[in-house]
This record gives sequence, structure tokens and C-alpha cells, in this order.
Amino acid sequence: MSVQLALRNIRKSFSNKHGTVDVLGGLTFDINERDFVSIIGPSGCGKTTVFNVIAGLLEADSGDIVYRGQTVEGLRGKVGYMMQRDLLLPWRTVLQNVLIGPELSKMPIAQARETAMEYLNTYGLAGFENAYPRMLSGGMRQRVALIRTLINDPDIILLDEPFSALDYQTRLYLEGVLMEAVETFHKTVVLVTHDIDEAVALSKRVVVLGGRPSQVKKIYDIDIAARSPIGARSDPNFSGYFHALCGELDIQTEVGSA
Amino acid sequence: MTQSVSIAQPAQKAQAKKWALDSGWGRSLLQLAAVVAFFAIWEGAARLGWVSNFLVGSPAKILDALVRDAHSGQLFTDTGYTLFEAILGFVFGTAVGSVCGLALWYSPFVARLIEPFIVAINSVPKIAFAPIVILWFGTGLISKVALAISLTAIVALIAAYEAAKDADPDLQALLVTLGANKNDVFTKVVVPSTLPYVISTFRINVGFGLVGAVVGEFISSEHGLGHMIFTASSLYDLNTVWEGLFVLMAIGFVLYFLIDLIERRLLPWRQASNANTLKV
Repeated sequence: MSVQLALRNIRKSFSNKHGTVDVLGGLTFDINERDFVSIIGPSGCGKTTVFNVIAGLLEADSGDIVYRGQTVEGLRGKVGYMMQRDLLLPWRTVLQNVLIGPELSKMPIAQARETAMEYLNTYGLAGFENAYPRMLSGGMRQRVALIRTLINDPDIILLDEPFSALDYQTRLYLEGVLMEAVETFHKTVVLVTHDIDEAVALSKRVVVLGGRPSQVKKIYDIDIAARSPIGARSDPNFSGYFHALCGELDIQTEVGSA
Repeated sequence: MTQSVSIAQPAQKAQAKKWALDSGWGRSLLQLAAVVAFFAIWEGAARLGWVSNFLVGSPAKILDALVRDAHSGQLFTDTGYTLFEAILGFVFGTAVGSVCGLALWYSPFVARLIEPFIVAINSVPKIAFAPIVILWFGTGLISKVALAISLTAIVALIAAYEAAKDADPDLQALLVTLGANKNDVFTKVVVPSTLPYVISTFRINVGFGLVGAVVGEFISSEHGLGHMIFTASSLYDLNTVWEGLFVLMAIGFVLYFLIDLIERRLLPWRQASNANTLKV
């Protein structure tokens, strides 16, 4: 499988009045074409920082980002970003929110509208296109956010704990929606989560970060055939990965508290 | 059985009573009753000699003054002047202030640079500018508008700047990942998220616009409600003073509701009720 995005020795530190904090201490890992990689690690290990560097919202202090063989600054405009907060613009209707990406990239609006309506139908939001976000439930809002991400046809989808604010049922459902969308549209996904269960169920590979400043501790290839959130959780291999990853994180907490 | 009935009945009654008073008509009726009672007591007290007619005036005589000035047309001329000055001051001051405040979002450096100056200007009671403004702009309409602008612009500027500064950084970051440049972020996130705060300054600034107009008229003028009040008070004509005050109150009231209407128009997403929230 060919490498789509490679991070090479990425370092990043933040400084304020009280001194400098090294967050990323030379991260190196690859993301393949059509990969589904989860990044897990103890809180404060810089998961979100990695994302912001990839997305081009933050500049790394040193290191290279290599995208399909070319060194780039960041992937502005090429990535879709989904966070725990749905980040819908409250003053825009569902349809207008979905169309923000096409609007910014100056795509022909009539065509984008048609695509948007198709997506809204597919994800059970038909009839809500003129509703404002505050009228929708959390699960519906997160689906709108997913459509907004997909319609822009990003090369890589970055997910920063997108489902952690939802209840378990909604979450399982949306995980399924996501898996299906990723399969249908052949997307590469990078998921940041501190939910080990979610990481194992969804990913092809799991990158474990640890230490301070954080580094890649281990990369697990997840060998689970089932491609549905519930199916994956019932796979015989599931609990093995689950325990191994729990172990990885536990060691970190001990080191951290010492 | 009997017990459950005796418990249920008073509860039901109380609820029915509360509903009747809390409904739109019930509230209006109570408010109207309060106004009528207030004027009735005032009028009665004046007629019975409990309060001095000379110092307090009386509603009937205020009404006489109102009819007199309406008949001569003086009331409408004065109201027109004040209203025109206040609205002009409000519109220009709020527009200029809001635009400047929003523009400061573009450069945190400039914003930090001029912040102490804004604080300094804001801490001067703007009314104290009035004599200078009259000297510069004369005794006509422009000086009142200028005074109203000086009052409203700074309020709008500070509110717009603070709100723009607080515009959700995550929303801005999201737009950047979607390929937005700084102008896109400004027009699609900063301006719409600042709009509710800008509109809420409209309410305050409508009042300040009137203050600017009336104070300007107090100091030097030939027309306007401020002129009418000032002249009448120097003649100890309390009823005409009250007439001017009540007309000013009515103007403020009407403008307030006009702003309310504008707000509903500009912010439809705020009206969207969450009563019909649907669960997945």
C-alpha cells in the first residue's frame, strides 16, 4: 500500500510567560492511501496539536510533512476537519452550512446544491434543509457536520473525537454512518480519540503516542475483518487489541505520575 | 378518592388563574391599570391640594398643553427636529462605531495600540463635550447630530470590537481548513457572530441618540423637545415640561420596538425555537 501522508520528525513546542512546553518531540509515522488510522494517547499528549499541524493551522517547529511524495507546509484546503463540537454556523440553515465548503472554493452553486440535497437525503436529513442548527439534536447536527466534510471531497478526513459528546447509541449509529461513507467515497481517515474501544473498532491501524514530549510509542495493525462498529466489537480479536492498548496507556499514567 | 380530588382541585385552579394573568392580554390589562391608577392618583392629589400644582403640575393640564401645542403645530415641529437629530446621530454613530470596531479585528496590533485611547475617550462624560461641539458646529442641527454621534459611536465601537475579538476561534479554524482566507473568515464568521451584539447596542444607542439631541438643544437651540423643555422650565411652566418629557418617552418607546422588529428580521436563527427538537 502506498504512503499518502508521511510525518517526519515533527517537533512542536509552545511557550508562554512561565516557560516552554515541548509537546511533540519528533513524531514520525505514515498514513497510507485509504487508511483509517487512530491516534491514541494520554490526555495532554498533543493529539490535537498533531491535527492542527497536518491541517495547516499550526506550523511545526521542525520536521517535514510529505504528501504524496512532496514536502508541504500543511494540508489547508485538502483536509476535512471534524471536532467534538459540530461547529455548525448557528446563523446558517442546514443547507447553507453544508454549502460553506463549495462556497469558499467557488464551486458552481447549483451543482453543489444538488449534491448537498442528495447527501441530506442519504443521511436522513431530508426536510431539515431549511432548519437552523439549534432546532436539531446532537446526532443530527453531527451528521450535518459529516456531510459538510464529505461534500468538499477532502483527500484526508481528520476527526478529533467527533462522537465523544454523544450518547452511546447515537455514537454507534454515527460510527456506522462514518464507516460506510469512508468505504463509499474511498477516503483516508485520521481519528484522534481517547476511547480505545472506538479506536479498535474503527481503525486499520492505531498509533499510540506517549512520553513528554510525546513520541510514537507503538503502531498496531488491527486485524479485524468486520467493517461495522458492532461487528468489529464482536470480533474475537477485538478484546486482545483492547487489552494491549489499555496496557500501553496504563504504563504511561504510571510514568507520568512518577 | 376524596383526598385526591381535594388535592387536585386547588392546583388546577391556581394554574388557571396564573395562565389568565400571564397571557398577553392579562399582562397588558395590568399594565394599563397601573398607568391609569398612577395618573388618577396624581390628578386627584393635585386637585385636592396635597401636592403643589406649581411644582408638580397635573395630568389634565399636561393634556391641555399637549392639545394646545398640537393645535399650533409647535409640538410636531419640535418632535420632528429632535427625532431627526436623534435618528441621524444614532444611525451614523452606530454605523461608524460598529464598522471601526469590527475592522479592529483585522489587526490585533492596532487594536492593542489604540485601546488606552479608546478607554480614555470613553471615560470622559461625553456630555462634557457639548460646549465644544456647539462652538465647532454652531447652534443648528449639525451640532446635535455630532453630539449624538459622539455618544453612540464609542458604545458601538467597544461592543463590536469586544464581540469580534471573542468570535469563536474553532469556527474560524474550521473555515481556514476549508480553504478560507482572512476576508472569508471575517465576512462569514466574525461579522455574523458579532451581529447580535451590535444589534443589542442599538437599544442602548437609541437612548443615547436622544440624549445627545436633547442635551444639545438644552445648551443652544431654536427648535426641538429639549428647547421646549428648557424654555418652559425657565418660565416655571411645569406642565409643558412634562409634555416634552412624555413625548420623549413615547419616542424612545416606539424606537425600542422598531429595533425589536429589526432584530427579528436580521437574526431569524435566534428566533428558531428548540421546542420541536427531534431526537435521532
